[in-house]
Amino acid sequence: MYLSRIFNSLNQSVQEQYRTELLALNDKTRGYGLVLTPEDIKLMLLARNQILYSYGRVELSIEATKELIELFSTSAFIQQESYADTLNELHEIYYYLKNETEDRISDLKLLHRMKDLFEEECGGSLDLLKSKLEEFASEYRRELQQNELTREGADDEWNPNI
Amino acid sequence: MESEHLNVSRELTTRDRVQKTRLQGNQYTISLMNAGLQAGLLTSQEVARIQSAFMEILRDLIHKHTRGESTSVTTETAENILTSILYASDAYLLSFEEPEKAITYLKAVDPRRIYDKGVEKVNQCLEEVKLLYKELKASKLEIPVDAYNMTIDESLPVFFRKYGVIFDAHNTMASIDYPLAVDDMRLQGVFYMKQYMERLKLETGFCALYGQQELLSLLANYGRECRFNYRIELFNIFELVMSNAVFSILSGGAANTLRISEIQYLRLEQQLSSLAKPQIRTLINEAVASLQQELTIDSELKAYMDRCQENLIQRVKHAAKHNTLRKVIITEREDETKSLVVYFNKEERMSDVQLRSVLQEIMAFDRKEDKVNLIRSSFHSFHDYLDMLESDCLYGEEYEALFRSFGVTELAILAKIVFCEELRSESLNLSSILLLEQHFQAEWQMQFVQSLQRMSRDRLEAVERNMNDIDYEHMTFY
Repeated sequence: MYLSRIFNSLNQSVQEQYRTELLALNDKTRGYGLVLTPEDIKLMLLARNQILYSYGRVELSIEATKELIELFSTSAFIQQESYADTLNELHEIYYYLKNETEDRISDLKLLHRMKDLFEEECGGSLDLLKSKLEEFASEYRRELQQNELTREGADDEWNPNI
Repeated sequence: MESEHLNVSRELTTRDRVQKTRLQGNQYTISLMNAGLQAGLLTSQEVARIQSAFMEILRDLIHKHTRGESTSVTTETAENILTSILYASDAYLLSFEEPEKAITYLKAVDPRRIYDKGVEKVNQCLEEVKLLYKELKASKLEIPVDAYNMTIDESLPVFFRKYGVIFDAHNTMASIDYPLAVDDMRLQGVFYMKQYMERLKLETGFCALYGQQELLSLLANYGRECRFNYRIELFNIFELVMSNAVFSILSGGAANTLRISEIQYLRLEQQLSSLAKPQIRTLINEAVASLQQELTIDSELKAYMDRCQENLIQRVKHAAKHNTLRKVIITEREDETKSLVVYFNKEERMSDVQLRSVLQEIMAFDRKEDKVNLIRSSFHSFHDYLDMLESDCLYGEEYEALFRSFGVTELAILAKIVFCEELRSESLNLSSILLLEQHFQAEWQMQFVQSLQRMSRDRLEAVERNMNDIDYEHMTFY
């Protein structure tokens, strides 16, 4: 938890840069009728820090947030009036899922998986998305455990002559 | 490196001394920064700069850890990597003789450079430990003590396989069971392993000065004295060997023997019981010195033995006072002819498939008599009997029926296994053990005890006589 705070404070110096980069994304999302104000961005970054802190995670950059915005802004299910709130919820789901899949899935894969489910099976419902992703994470962990059990025992050797 | 050290020392003034008590070997870099701040050797801006540089290293390593596929990790992962970074930094900064020099170096040099040099040190230590392991493995004692053998043959190789200099430098990565005579558990990672293997090699080298028969005989007598199976117990062989060698000298025997006869023991008992504590200390000090001289022990082993001496002195003082010297001075016993030597042959074991099939057959029967008959006719190996009991294929009174079909020898063997802890106490016999309130993990053990409790006195006494005739030493499983 302490580290999460240190990283966030170290990131203070780049917060301004993050805000500029996120504002610049409006050029891409405006075509879908979605725009974030500087105040929205400031609040979103604060919320993101809080989410990271509560999920015990350390974030090194703004790339995952940018990818999330670019991906989801193309969705017909997201409207301008709830855009900022939706992004906050998506951040929460995303970091929750990073933990639940034990950091074994890359950022891009996970974000795309979220987007696909959101569009196809959930019809834009965030509640449904949460529950689908919980199922996905639990199945993923089960497979992971099975694979580890299969590997166990076979890798306990070390050759002193190496 | 040398010139860097010299420059650093020139910058120091005598007034800027850090309090060494504030420094911690395990968190040396951090405690150096704190101590440096307090001594005025570092400003808070400098500390912030150093911290920030370490965080930059952490940032790079997290990126490397996720192979660039994730920009976030759990705090736990980040903390683990940061600890690994600081472990490397500690490794380098600890190489400065004076902490003040290390602080000035920390102040003047980019922490990344310190980190890189630390990683070199950790790598170098790992290579030394690999060599040490080869030597240790080559000189391993041929003795049937599981913890000793498994630590060398299995646990230490696991360390080499799992240890990571970059992400896990501080982790010890192996479950080492065998206890050293003197162990410094404050060390971590590869530096702990180096210490462990160096000491184990010293201990092994000392024990190897004695013949294998001497060692095996000492172990067997030790097991009998403590009423346990020495093969599976956790104890330090070196301490046992060293103390009996000391007692050999004290009782007029040679330095190169570990055997203490009953007559020698009685002489020692009389001598040690009559001495005051300071005299016991002097006596043991002299005997250890004489042992070292007669066996021409080198200085490293000598220093190690000196460190173990205090423990021996305390144990002897305590035992002399409480009249328990037999537990400390392991005496040679006439090989008491036990009427029962039990051999369990692994060859007779069923395969897993066969065992599973018989267990299914047992469970398919309704009548307990049929189950017992099938068990009696199918099982010929003691291991299979234990597997069958552990499988919970019997219920309630079926256990009673099975145990009633056993002979006293079979019951005695099971009792030796179920009550191995209780039997260590000399004051307990089977009847008194059965009166104790006990908790068992397995259903069959509880049923076994209840079955014994219901047994006639004559039969119980016969079981007990058989138990006395079986030594753990003679329960050879392979």
